[in-house]
Amino acid sequence: MFNRWCSTGMNRFCASDRLEYLQGLVTEFQDTDSEEAKEQILANLANFAYDPRSMEALRMLQVTELFLDMLTEENENFVEFGIGGLCNLSMDRECRDQILQSGGIPLVTGCLSSHRDETVLSAITTLMNLTTAASRSQTTDSAVVQSMLRFSLTQNPRLSNLATVFLQDYCTQDQVDKARELLQGHSQSAVGIPLPKD
Amino acid sequence: MAASEGCSVWDTPRVYKHHEQQKACHTRPKYREGRRPKAVKVYTINLESRFLLVQGVPAIGVMTELVQLFALYGVIEEYRVLDEYPAEQFTEVYLMKFQKLTSARAAKRNTDEKSFYGGILHVCYAPEYETVEDIRKKLQDRRSYMNRACIKSETESEKEPTRSKKPAESSAPALASTPWEDGNRAQTETSNPNTYSGFPLLPLPPEEEAPQQCLSSWGFKSHSLQTNAPTEDKMGSLHRFISASPELSKQTTNWPNSASADKEERDRSKISRNPPSTAPRFIPRTARLENRKRKMMDNTDFLGMLDKNAPFFGPKLPEQQKMDMEDNSLNTTASLIRQTMAKVSSIPTEMKTSSNTTTTTKPRRRI
Repeated sequence: MFNRWCSTGMNRFCASDRLEYLQGLVTEFQDTDSEEAKEQILANLANFAYDPRSMEALRMLQVTELFLDMLTEENENFVEFGIGGLCNLSMDRECRDQILQSGGIPLVTGCLSSHRDETVLSAITTLMNLTTAASRSQTTDSAVVQSMLRFSLTQNPRLSNLATVFLQDYCTQDQVDKARELLQGHSQSAVGIPLPKD
Repeated sequence: MAASEGCSVWDTPRVYKHHEQQKACHTRPKYREGRRPKAVKVYTINLESRFLLVQGVPAIGVMTELVQLFALYGVIEEYRVLDEYPAEQFTEVYLMKFQKLTSARAAKRNTDEKSFYGGILHVCYAPEYETVEDIRKKLQDRRSYMNRACIKSETESEKEPTRSKKPAESSAPALASTPWEDGNRAQTETSNPNTYSGFPLLPLPPEEEAPQQCLSSWGFKSHSLQTNAPTEDKMGSLHRFISASPELSKQTTNWPNSASADKEERDRSKISRNPPSTAPRFIPRTARLENRKRKMMDNTDFLGMLDKNAPFFGPKLPEQQKMDMEDNSLNTTASLIRQTMAKVSSIPTEMKTSSNTTTTTKPRRRI
């Protein structure tokens, strides 16, 4: 009991330092022209998003917007780190609501078509986190369910398992059946299929 | 930098990209440099796993030692050599399955890139060995952890201004109003009503009581006499409480009030050298009765102030011839010795039993 109050007191002390440090990171990210520095900072911020203690600071700094911006970048590292950060952030309810308010779902769905499995995995988990009573129709859109069905059939165990969890826990049996019919009827959506590399 | 090309969603690599050791980044400015050199990489819950892949173990039959090393960080459910995994010459690759993700995290953190019997270990997560059920549980655990952490920080920030409030009061508004509240709370609560029930708020330690109880046993004594109700000790337990005995209250009633009682009691004890036999500790009823009996005798006999009503036990010895030592102090001492001798010889059985049960509270005589 006593320990808990003590330790949280420590954390609160760290919180102001943390905000200052994160503020510095965001500022440098916006000011620098170096791609490499941007990647480093982005990865840094995304890893900070894993720690619940930094959530408040990251929310205040609008880091959700920063990550969402990265999803449309050319640089695949930017996309991977951005969606990784969103995957970490969206575990927190307040951050999840921020992402939903910013209309992040289509951007996240877009990441399902990435060539990189880390990006796709992060996108699936983010979609799970973003699913609420209000957003369910969007996150379990027919096209998304179809792509999850395809993922669940791949040989990549991480991808197929995560897609299976999505189908079992976030979609109704009706949705899955419908998506399966559509898949067999060759009227597929292109969501989740990577474009050929040139 | 983060990923080598050629690891597509659609093929099935044996050696996954996340197994490869990425080059540490050395181009970071000072303020972003961590304590250890690290690659530019983002960890998500997808990448973390209770399965660890341990590469670079020298193939000299040190499996037991390896498992012992890793068991320092938590319970290992399973482990095996991965013969099929491509390994460097003269090294082996092991798979470790921990019971908890946190153990695996600690193990990876502390063993990766550490020397082990002449080899350098490379430890990485191996989430590809997880089953669907493993993944589901991992995600659920992570979510509930985040919710708990979130609630904790919310109540923290709420409690700071209203520190003196009782926890029962402050816990409810803490969830309802926070600085960055924007009305989403109602919606989130209805969508998942059982989120907040998982974290029982414990009451604050009793702050008002603390100073008095932290005093010596004297302070405690006067306090408990005053209230005459069960009072918690410093550890919050009623275990040591004994209600003020009638004899005790008799002793203390003639003192002005308990505030000055402390000092007075201490002074008096200095004069009379009567040890504090009423220290708050549990004494069985029978022992207390005997104790009381003995104490009454002590009190009455002490310093020759004989109480006429005091009951006598055992046969009365013939009065010894009184010797005058020609000094008040010496006389007192002599009579004390005489009384003690008389008591020891007269009631041996009673003394024995009482000394067995209440050795600690037995008053020590200074002769």
